[in-house]
Amino acid sequence: MTPVRRTGGPRPATRPPGLSRRHFALALPSALLASGCAAPHQGTGRPGDPIVLTLLSHYASGELKAALQGPVDEWNATHDRVKVRTTAVEFTDLLTTFMVRQAAGQGADILHPYCLWNGQLVRAGVLRPAPAEHAEEIRRGYREAAVGAASVGGRVYGYPTEVQTYALYYNKRLLREAGADGPPGTWRELEETAHRTARRDRYGNTLVQGLGLSTYDDSTTVGQTLALLNAAGGRFVSADGRTTAVDSAAGRAVFDLEHRLVTEGASTPGVNVYQAFPSGQVAMVVSAGWWTGSLKSLMGAGYRDVGVAPVPVRKAGDRHATLCTGFMLGVNTASRFPREAWEFLRWLNTGKAGVKGAARGATATRMSALQVSVGSLTGRADDMRALLGTGGDPNQRPFLDALAYAVPEPNVPGAQQAKSLLRKNIEALWTGQQSVDETLRTTRRQVDQEMARSW
Amino acid sequence: MVNTLAPETTRRAPHSRRAAVGAVDGRGRARRRQTVVAYLFLAPALLFFAVFLILPLGFALLLSLSRWTGFDLGDIDPVGLDNFTGLLADGSTFLTPVLTNTLLFALGTVALALAGSVLVATCIDKLRFQGLWRTLYFLPIVTTVVAVGNVWKYMYEPGGLVNGVLNALGLGSVAFLQDPDTALPAVVVVQAWASVGSAILVLTAGLKSIPGSYYEAAALDGAGPGTVFRRITLPLLRPSLLFVCVTQFLTGLQSFALIIVMTKGGPGDATNVAALEMYRQAFSHGDWGTASAAAFVLFAVVLAVTLAQLWFFRRTGEDA
Repeated sequence: MTPVRRTGGPRPATRPPGLSRRHFALALPSALLASGCAAPHQGTGRPGDPIVLTLLSHYASGELKAALQGPVDEWNATHDRVKVRTTAVEFTDLLTTFMVRQAAGQGADILHPYCLWNGQLVRAGVLRPAPAEHAEEIRRGYREAAVGAASVGGRVYGYPTEVQTYALYYNKRLLREAGADGPPGTWRELEETAHRTARRDRYGNTLVQGLGLSTYDDSTTVGQTLALLNAAGGRFVSADGRTTAVDSAAGRAVFDLEHRLVTEGASTPGVNVYQAFPSGQVAMVVSAGWWTGSLKSLMGAGYRDVGVAPVPVRKAGDRHATLCTGFMLGVNTASRFPREAWEFLRWLNTGKAGVKGAARGATATRMSALQVSVGSLTGRADDMRALLGTGGDPNQRPFLDALAYAVPEPNVPGAQQAKSLLRKNIEALWTGQQSVDETLRTTRRQVDQEMARSW
Repeated sequence: MVNTLAPETTRRAPHSRRAAVGAVDGRGRARRRQTVVAYLFLAPALLFFAVFLILPLGFALLLSLSRWTGFDLGDIDPVGLDNFTGLLADGSTFLTPVLTNTLLFALGTVALALAGSVLVATCIDKLRFQGLWRTLYFLPIVTTVVAVGNVWKYMYEPGGLVNGVLNALGLGSVAFLQDPDTALPAVVVVQAWASVGSAILVLTAGLKSIPGSYYEAAALDGAGPGTVFRRITLPLLRPSLLFVCVTQFLTGLQSFALIIVMTKGGPGDATNVAALEMYRQAFSHGDWGTASAAAFVLFAVVLAVTLAQLWFFRRTGEDA
């Protein structure tokens, strides 16, 4: 008697060859795993359908997201074969997202990393070097500091996007009230002005900080110190990127200056300078150019009291120098369409368009226009002049000028770790846990050890 | 009779043996079927544990013995015990101050939370509207750590509420979170405040389970409140105290959210703890090997501390 089957119609008497139950049991999870780890959506794959490139950035907020989406929409409207889709996460999640997606085989075609991570990303084989013609275009079109930030070991890995140089923000009103004619130009003037402007109440609460020293995060704490170090002619990392160069005369001078300012009461590192400066409780701060946009919206009419000057040099007549940090757009080594990705980046970063409201014939790249629209700069000085000449904020000029002499932030493998170690040591110096000598020694030992591991 | 029956028995014997064997086979099949069904019912839970516990644990163990930057699974490079020796090497900041801070943070939190919760629970036990009081003290538990951390951060700041009170008393301001000597105790106070609610719930339940006859007998004997608390309440509360102590210590050893909100581990390394260091090594610095090795060291510490607590309470007559 033939057993009655509850479901289904007639079945073949024998199993189909090559698909036993065991094979099926093995194949199912493998197929699920493979589909989960597959490359990101890159079109339907049918012949004739467009290629879809994915771009992962930290432009997650309304203003930044919209600023990037504009040119991307323009590209998608004018290009049939290659389309671009943007995805964004908050900056704090960006590196983690790169890691997780890359490990899962879901890495985006185009990445928008902070240049500090470039050494780490290159060592991990995530970033693809720029093809020769693109590298040449980047070297020709951008300032040296921007190119340096987008390079690792002398090799260019992407198009620099926003570039941040450091300068001295000062409150004109507070300086005027303290009898200072203008912003300090040397460290001596900086120290004098800081002491003259600083005020405390009888309980020791800070009413006005002379020079604000930020302990907000790695970037702000280390950024201001490295800007002063560069201004004194020093470097954080040696030319070959394998050891730290902070234990030098310039390094000692910076740590001495900051230590004096703190111990003599002209600086109070505990105060959040990013809140205190707009409230008129900090006279001067060394910070990056992105802050101008935030200050304008925070301070309203009070922004007219804000001035920006180059980072003071150690002695009158010294050559100006400061720190430069930035982001870049590069192509993932895992991308199946690197040529198309580089083409899109060339179009976004070098293709020029007319500037609204500028002098006749003035042009700028889409990326430069995008950055200026959100209060930032790019490493293309010609673009910046054209764009800032159209009634831009005069406080952005010193940041633009600094592109000519700024020193790129070290981005060797282990740079993020080195930066964290430097921050810890700076804070230990400011809080009296370490002397200047100990800080120099400990920083050198810890950073050298870390960098030796990273290479 | 016997003889007449004997052939019948002999004839029946093979049949009954077959029947017996068949019954045994049937029972075996049924048992096997039951076993399969049981495993099928267990499968979701087993799969869950395999995917979310065994696999990550095995992967973490592999990473702790390797170098991996977090990007490409093909780049996992075995390095033996290098990550562990690096963590425990002379000059490494992991043992001092990171692990020391972790233990001090957990110890301080347990001590403060335990003392506070015993005091508050005893007071609540004597009040009306006990549910209301318990709810009020439980509120910090249901408040997000970010909100708690930020509110306390502002209260600690120079010019904040705490310094305002000190100034009103004629005292100078203290930079609680900026001074390396006060930063860790300041965060410990907040962690203890935030965790006291759950301890109160457990302890009030423990207090309810103490028979009233003991207190009546003590009152008849003329025992004062201090003696009653020391000789009756505390000893009979020991099971609850053990539970609170162990769970709070485990939470303290592994927590870092409050620290990242309030101090980010600073100034310097003054409030840096093991979990925060692991997070930074893995997600900021891409050093998954060191982070995983640190996780296993922390696991060993947690295990040792928990076993020590259990041993201590058992020795004093309390079973977990």
